Amino acid sequence: MLKLLKPLAGAAVGLSVGLGGAMADPYQPYKGETLVVNFPAHPHYDAVMKVLPEFTKETGINVEVDQLQYLKMREKQTLELTKRKGDYDLIAYVVFSKADYVYADQLENLARYFMNPKLADPNYDAGDLIDGYVQNIGVAGGSKGYLPGPTGSLFGVPFGSETSVLGYRKDIFDKHGLKVPETYDELLELACKIPELEPGMGGLSSRAASGHHASHAFLLHLAPLGGRVFDENWNLIVNNEAGVKAAEALKTIVDCGPEGAKTFGFAEAGAAFLQGNTAMFLDSTVFAGQVNNPDKSKVVGKVAWAPHPMGVRRGSQTGGFGIGIPKNAANKEAAFLLMQWLTSKKADKLIALAGGNPSRFSTHNDAEVNEKFPHMATFGEALKHADPDWRPIIPVWGKINADLGTTLSKVLTEDLDIQEALDGVADRSKAVMEEAGYYTWN
Amino acid sequence: MELTSHTRNDTGGRTPGCLAARQARSRKYSEIAQRLTPYFFLAPAVVILAVALLYPVGYMIYASFLDWNPSQRIEEADWVGLRNYISLLGDESFIESFFVTLKFAALVVGFEMIVGVGLALLLDRNVRGMSLQRTIFILPMMIAPIVVGLIWRYMYHPTVGSFNRTLKSWGLDAVPWLSDSDWAFASVIIADMWQWTPFIFILALAALQSLPQSALEAARIDGANDWQQILYIKLPLMMPVLVVTCLLRLIDAFKVLEVILVLTNGGPGLSTEILSLRIARTASEFRELGVAAAMSNYLLVLLFVITLAMFLYNKVAESRQARIRAAAEEEFK
Repeated sequence: MLKLLKPLAGAAVGLSVGLGGAMADPYQPYKGETLVVNFPAHPHYDAVMKVLPEFTKETGINVEVDQLQYLKMREKQTLELTKRKGDYDLIAYVVFSKADYVYADQLENLARYFMNPKLADPNYDAGDLIDGYVQNIGVAGGSKGYLPGPTGSLFGVPFGSETSVLGYRKDIFDKHGLKVPETYDELLELACKIPELEPGMGGLSSRAASGHHASHAFLLHLAPLGGRVFDENWNLIVNNEAGVKAAEALKTIVDCGPEGAKTFGFAEAGAAFLQGNTAMFLDSTVFAGQVNNPDKSKVVGKVAWAPHPMGVRRGSQTGGFGIGIPKNAANKEAAFLLMQWLTSKKADKLIALAGGNPSRFSTHNDAEVNEKFPHMATFGEALKHADPDWRPIIPVWGKINADLGTTLSKVLTEDLDIQEALDGVADRSKAVMEEAGYYTWN
Repeated sequence: MELTSHTRNDTGGRTPGCLAARQARSRKYSEIAQRLTPYFFLAPAVVILAVALLYPVGYMIYASFLDWNPSQRIEEADWVGLRNYISLLGDESFIESFFVTLKFAALVVGFEMIVGVGLALLLDRNVRGMSLQRTIFILPMMIAPIVVGLIWRYMYHPTVGSFNRTLKSWGLDAVPWLSDSDWAFASVIIADMWQWTPFIFILALAALQSLPQSALEAARIDGANDWQQILYIKLPLMMPVLVVTCLLRLIDAFKVLEVILVLTNGGPGLSTEILSLRIARTASEFRELGVAAAMSNYLLVLLFVITLAMFLYNKVAESRQARIRAAAEEEFK
């Protein structure tokens, strides 16, 4: 009898442990809480809104979303984060805010949450997150202060991140037997050849408007052409040979672009491609969602995608948004659970299927996602070359970026000499860096 | 009853001199109380004004002496004295913006005054449906500036914009409305004129219609033609209103932001970056609130000088008119 009872008792204990395990709910202590989150009005976050009810259903935690235009979002966050007790439990931040928020000690270091066994999901698989994005958007305090390194820490997780890819008109390329450009030489040659082959059509749509847009477009070419804004000692090298080449590339692209290209921002450059006025588009992946939308696009089914062409190296942009927990948040642990859930494999796939930008390699390779969005595999391939250091993320970057952008606008519209223009930017930026204390140890 | 008799007795016991002194003192107190009464009534308004107007201005002046970024509370910011003001004097972009602002304000207000007053002079007559026309004229003023910027941005669009399409349909070359520095500046002026000329028109028309008819009739009897009536009667009589109108528009032109932000965002280069746009960018993009406050104070000083100049001009003109009037009255005597 005892012999019979022993295995029965063992089975009962095993069952109860098993059931207990299955019933353990890490979300239980936070059930009924309401998290207030701040997201931008952005295609990725529009997709997130469709998936969020799933989180509440699964966890019992309610989420209230304050969705704002992204510049307004930054302004509001700036005020919110300086308050002693903030209204937001989780915020999405644009990549260049990382420097400001971390420097002002306004974002939680995520180590203590990932160390907490009650909160950290062992199946999270952080290694599957796109490395370039994590480095660019999430980590601070390492190399150069804004990159990973032995002293770096994680302050956010990429969510709605973007890289650069080349979109091209398959029909035009097939018609003229053109090869998809893999290098910058091929890209620039094609950019000016297309207007000859297709009169009235521009080669490549690029941003070029004075300020941030011109600067962004220039930096997009600077990294692949072997340039950087600063060297390892914060000396300005934007005016070296690679810098001049990048500015020349931008000028060539704009001169061979569609009419009015000199004033294009991101929206106008995209619209020109969607209206069929250009044969190529080189910018953020976030744009891809619009190409096959017949309400917005005249080129439905005619566009294919390729990785950002290489110059002396591969280096596509990294940007977009990440999510982090404000230091003054009221419900930090529940916010971490939401952050972890949103960036989990399961939610990443759900959001991708709803039209968002995945943050994981596995989602880019997922069969179901690729069936719905065939370009996803190409994007995943491009992401392997995503360059987290294509643009410096330091507190004074806003000022240098504005100067670079307005000066490049003069190059594009007033034919200012490129070398002279970049030398001017380097001189003025050096003064800004000096004032900010970057040469204190030199 | 007792009290009354006691009072009477008490008064009765004093000398007439003492009574007079007491009455004089009482009159004096009453006068002071009367003089102070209006101030008591005004006090709440003065306190509110001081808090609502002077406190923010004082805050801005204080902020201009700080090295303050928006991620800091104001008490965490470092005191840098006049550094922001001094560094701005050597800042090429700020100086360029300053002169762009001066050029923009002078041209835009100049053109608007000429066109607005001209239209008012033309339409100062009994025309059928004038009130409807007036409403239509002031419509641009009522549209939100962001929308005005967007409307003009699409009209200036290089390919699908109505201007270039019209030019092309006439066989002319397209104009780089927003992509060439000079054209962009002109385009911004045109958009601003479209929106704000009606403001000057309406005020000028109101001034014209309230002119004393006797002066105009006297001029007509004396044989003044239309031009002479405008130059020597109407414009001088309208001048006080025109000066205030011009001042209001100047102040507004120095602060215009949204239309330019949407149309050109200050570009190409810095060709249309007026000071208010530079201030906005310094605060939000460069995150230098102290420097932005110092720029605002420079703008404030400039506007204050202009206001003062206009005020002085008005005073001089008024005293000149008073002298002429006095001389004329003297002559009639």
